[in-house]
Amino acid sequence: MSEHADHISCRDVVALVTDYFERALPAEQLSLFEQHLNFCDGCISYVEQMRLTKELVGRLEEEDVPVEAKDRLLQAFRDWDRS
Amino acid sequence: MIAYKFLREDGAGLFTSFAWPAPGEWVEAPAEECRSGVHACRVGDLPFWVARNLWEVELDGEVYEGRTKVVATRGRLVRRIEQWDEEARDDYVAMCAERAHELAASAGPGWDAVIEPSRPEGPALLGFIAARIAEELDGPEAYYGERASQAGWLVDRLGLRA
Repeated sequence: MSEHADHISCRDVVALVTDYFERALPAEQLSLFEQHLNFCDGCISYVEQMRLTKELVGRLEEEDVPVEAKDRLLQAFRDWDRS
Repeated sequence: MIAYKFLREDGAGLFTSFAWPAPGEWVEAPAEECRSGVHACRVGDLPFWVARNLWEVELDGEVYEGRTKVVATRGRLVRRIEQWDEEARDDYVAMCAERAHELAASAGPGWDAVIEPSRPEGPALLGFIAARIAEELDGPEAYYGERASQAGWLVDRLGLRA
């Protein structure tokens, strides 16, 4: 017998959301993910926000990003890499 | 095979947003769990997918049985379960809340406090909370036992074919 019943938490939803969008979740995990969304309004909002963000960011071209913002982002990534 | 399917208020699929055709019209798709095909519930699956509208569906072709669902290559809506109305949904919430309070009395601190604020969220959440408290008390089997009790309530109240 398993130690836990099959269900996932809000934290799991956050961790799995990218795989959910990319349809990379195995069927059983996808089923649990959707069961959770079926009752958790907070996670529905979160997934919807992520979906919108993904759509909007996906439309951006490199030239859409102002040079200053690009420099700041690159610096942030370099610092992140060093931390 | 007769099964059941919860749909959104607008009659579309809960996660696919598939717009179901009129009752009687067959829908066909290769069956692959969570990816393709007609997904539906056996009565024991219902508490895991509770939503606004409930339909009786007929499945045909190849039918695969998953853990909390069935998936078929063909399916059609038969009739809306009219008994799953506002009053029945409220009664289901009340039944689950009452059961959750009963279980929470023996569970650790904190559980009781989540029940009443969750009522407005509706039947799916209350059913989950009751089952989770049961699991906290007596392990995974109790979680599934609670889900089975909830399914029994739905069968009795809505006159479903078990």
